[in-house]
Order: sequence, then structure tokens, then C-alpha cells
Amino acid sequence: MFRQSPARTLVLLATLAGLAVYASAGGYFAREIVVEIAILAILAISLDVVAGFGGMVSLAHGAMMGLSAYTYAIFSVKLGWPPLPSALMGIGASALFGTAIGWITGRTTGIFFIMATLAFGQMAYTVFFKWRWLGGDDGLGGLSRFDLGWLGIKMGDSLTFAFFALVMVLAVYAAAAWVLRTAFGRTLTGIHTNEDRMRALGVSTVVHRAQALGFSAMLAGVAGIIAAQHILYISPEMLVWTVSGEVLIVVILGGLGTLIGPLLGAVIFVLLKHEISAYTNHWHIVIGILLIATVLSGGRGIYGQVEHWLTRRTQPAGKTAEAPDA
Amino acid sequence: MLEVRKLCKSFGGLQVTRNVSFVLEPGERRVILGPNGAGKTTLFNQLVGTLTPSSGDILVQGRSVMGLSVSARAREGLSRSYQKNNLFEDLSVRENLMLAAAAGQGKARSIWRDSFRDAEVRETVREVAQQVALTDMLDMPVRSASYGSRRQLEVGLALATRPRILLMDEPTSGVGPTMIESFHRLLHSLPRELTVLIIEHDMDLAFDVADRITVLNFGEVVFEGTPDETRGNKVVRDIYLGDWQANA
Ligand SMILES: Nc1ncnc2c1ncn2[C@@H]1O[C@H](COP(=O)(O)OP(=O)(O)OP(=O)(O)O)[C@@H](O)[C@H]1O
Ligand SMILES: [Mg+2]
Repeated sequence: MFRQSPARTLVLLATLAGLAVYASAGGYFAREIVVEIAILAILAISLDVVAGFGGMVSLAHGAMMGLSAYTYAIFSVKLGWPPLPSALMGIGASALFGTAIGWITGRTTGIFFIMATLAFGQMAYTVFFKWRWLGGDDGLGGLSRFDLGWLGIKMGDSLTFAFFALVMVLAVYAAAAWVLRTAFGRTLTGIHTNEDRMRALGVSTVVHRAQALGFSAMLAGVAGIIAAQHILYISPEMLVWTVSGEVLIVVILGGLGTLIGPLLGAVIFVLLKHEISAYTNHWHIVIGILLIATVLSGGRGIYGQVEHWLTRRTQPAGKTAEAPDA
Repeated sequence: MLEVRKLCKSFGGLQVTRNVSFVLEPGERRVILGPNGAGKTTLFNQLVGTLTPSSGDILVQGRSVMGLSVSARAREGLSRSYQKNNLFEDLSVRENLMLAAAAGQGKARSIWRDSFRDAEVRETVREVAQQVALTDMLDMPVRSASYGSRRQLEVGLALATRPRILLMDEPTSGVGPTMIESFHRLLHSLPRELTVLIIEHDMDLAFDVADRITVLNFGEVVFEGTPDETRGNKVVRDIYLGDWQANA
């Protein structure tokens, strides 16, 4: 069961504050990195909701993000809607897509579920890759950011936008943590642990799983809006399954089922990528080694491992009642 | 309350349920007896909807539930415990009961309220924990609980939804005499309006709690009657009691 422990709150706020300082003190490049981290973190948190707490390992989260970004572009660029309603349409489209995937995959679990999400993701990718009206494989430009001028906020400024992205990370984390602590989240964990029994107790588990995937996709849709507004250009590359694969790596690296771990995973992943690629093109090898080390050391991920050490130290041996933060 | 009409089920060529019919009155305590492989668990699986019968009908309060899913039947008030423990292994005893109580009260889906903080859910969990003697173990992870406690929790989960019809599949299988005795007491403490169907191997328990007894053999109802009639019946003695007396 999910618990928002004080330690998790502390890590969340400290990480976001650290990134804010980094963006402020660093130059344009640092701000780009912070936005990149924010997008990846939102995707990873959203994936952790279903993978870590619902046992639904999805390879469609990149596609969900991309669908949201493209829908945003359709409404704002092609139909001339203002950015905010367009963004809501994007997030809504992504949520619908997630719900539909959950509904159709119904009772499939494990590897078959993963394959099904992969197929849906690739289908979405193919659609946008071929769709000339939306630029096909050339992508589509001419997007715009939210106009918050009436609040005195200039979204065009790179530091402002980095802050905006961080605020969205906080909002997405808060939404996910909230839902996981409600009856819906409890039941989702129950389904993850024993779907059969949950059904026998009277829960329509297929509906529940579909709704959970819809919620997760909605959060992924937020990442899509930020990504679209970030570089003001979108391409089908966003939807390729390797994007989803990277998100999954980030979740596992940070700590599956911890919610805060994925945020840390995103920070480490992006920073490592930029640091290491300054020396070599083979940064994937380093990530690979890290991933292997994580999996071999019990699969708890970086945050999960630290939490594990801490609780073992603070709890006398033998008394392991109520696995504290799992 | 619960009516089964001419139920049949085959696995390939093997007929596991043969033309089974019976009626449970509201509040009735019915025990199903039958040797291993008689088709008792298979009958339960059809009642709750995890298996689809080849033919026949199942009615709850006069309405057919054949078109209803497993979860929909549970929401109609049908609850079952399993012969082999089927618990939320990763969670604590309390969390197990909370999930069941919340589901039983239709509080499993809200994205605004936490079912685990709901007063009614907590009260139900407290009561059920007392009923199945798990009050002192609520915060224990199910994984590290003893077999006996897990067996109690198995029944607790079925009780926590506050069903109208309770189906229990060999609740005392594998536990010692003390626990069987406390299970007797639990059965007697259940609300009188609750309809109970128990698959049981323990004869004393069967004769003690049953209003009526149904005996299954090779998927077929070979006898139905009161405990006294059951004791005196020759067919039953041949296929079952002989066996039982031999073991006793
Ligand atoms: N899914 C299945 N496929 C094929 N055969 C099955 C299946 N489930 C049960 N059977 C067979 O149906 C028969 C009845 O099984 P069932 O589990 O209902 O017996 P039971 O009366 O509960 O026995 P026990 O007292 O051992 O629990 C057995 O011969 C069993 O092998
Ligand atoms: Mg059986």
C-alpha cells in the first residue's frame, strides 16, 4: 500500500528545489536539462502508478504523451483554438487512449499485456508518421506556449518555462499520490496483489484497471503538453516505443512502486546522459550496467534500496510488521 | 434464497456436475458432504461464476444470476472462501480485511475518499477480526502469518463483505482440533439470517451446524436430508460414513 512518508515528501521537495536552483544558476543549457528531466519524471511517475501499483507494465506511455502533444497541435495550430483548451483536449485524448487500451486488453496480464501496449503504441506512432496533414515524418511546427502574460508571467523565457515544468511535476506527483491513497488506489493495489480475489469480493477489476490506465495516461498527457510547448515542434519520434522503454528503465532504476523513485531516476538518467555523452557515445552502456546492478541487488531501485536500508536499521530484527513504505 | 436447477458441467468427457438441484431457504445452514473429487469445489466455482455450467440454472432470491460476472454476483451478496488460501499475500491482515470490507460496502472505487479511513469499514474490520480471532494479528504481513491464521483470514475475507449467502470450501482443512472447535463457535455466532453453504469433511461439524445435508458423489446428489436422516441413510453410509468410520 502506498504511503506518502515524511521521507518521501522531503526527497520530493528537496529534488524540485535542487532542480530550481540548478535552472536559476545554470545557463540556458541547464534549463533545457531541467525541462527534459521534468518531462521524463512526469512520464515515469505516471507509469509507476500503473506498473508499480497496478502491475501493468506499459510500453505505450511514449505514445500517450505523443498523442496528447499531437492533439494539442491539432487544436491549437490546425483549428486555431487557444492553448489552454487545446491542452485540455490533448490530455483528454491521452486519457481516453489509455482507458481504451485498458478496456481492450481487459484480462491480459504479464508479457501479453506488455505486448498489447507495445502494439497500441506502435499503431499510434504509425498513424502520425503517415499522416501528411500533420506533417507526417517531418513533424509539425508553429506551436505556442500558454499565454500567462495576464499574470505577469512570460512563458517565452527559458527559466520561467523550466519553473513551469517543475510545478507540473509537483502537480502530477500530488495527483498520483492523492489517488493512490484513496479507495481507488487501495483497490488497485489489491488487484495487483490478487486480481482473482478482488473480483470475488465484488470489484469489476477490468473496469478498475482500465480507469487506472486512463488516469495514468492523463498524467502522461501532461508531459506531452510540456514537451510540445518546450521546443514548439512535434514529431512522431515522441511516440516510438523506445521512448516508453526509456521511461520504464527510469522507473525501475529509481524504484518501482515508490512514486518518488521515478523522479530521482529521471534526474539521474538525464544528468548521466549529458555528463557521459560529453566523453563517449556509449552512455547506454553505463545506464545498462546501472540497470543490471539495480535488478541484481533485489530490484528495489535506488530509492527503494535506500528506504530498505533505513527501515532495516531503524526496526529491530524480527519485527517486520507492516512493511513501512511499500 | 439460493436455488440450483439441474446443473451440469463436463470437462471434456468427464462429467463433474450431474443434474444437481437444491434449494437453500433464507438463513439455512447447509453442509455439502462428498468424497474427494466428488465435484464439490467445481459446484462452488459455478455458483460464484468462475466456471460456466454446461447447462442448468442458478437463482439468487428468485432471479437467475447466469448472466452475471463473478464480481456482479458478489455484489448480489454471494461470497466464498477458498479450499486453498487465496489471500492478498503482500499486504497485512488488516489491509486484507479492509479491502474486503470496502468492496462489500461499495466503497472500493472512490478517488476522493480513502476506504481505509472510513469509519464503517474500520468497524467491520474490527468485528470480523474478532469473529475469526485475528484481532492481535492485524498488523502482521500475511506472508509471515501461520497457516492457521491464514486459514482464519480466508474465512474472514469472505465474512468481511457482509454477504447474504456465504459459501465456505472446507474452511477447517488442515487445521488442528482447537481451531475446528473455535470454528464451531464462529458458525454458531453468525447472524441467523445469513444463508450458509459449507463444504466440509469434518463430520462432527457437519452434524453440529447443518440444518440439512447434501451428499455429492461422482458429481451427483445422492442424498439430501437432515443430519439425523443422514446418519441413518444406507447409501450415505456406504459411500461416505463407512470411509469416515474407518478413518475415525
Ligand atoms: N478445470 C478442470 N479441468 C478438468 N478437470 C477438472 C477441473 N477442475 C476439476 N476437475 C476434476 O473434476 C473433479 C472434481 O473436482 P473438485 O475439485 O470439484 O472435487 P472436490 O469434490 O472439491 O474434491 P476435494 O474434496 O478433493 O476438494 C476431479 O476429478 C477433478 O480432477
Ligand atoms: Mg474441493
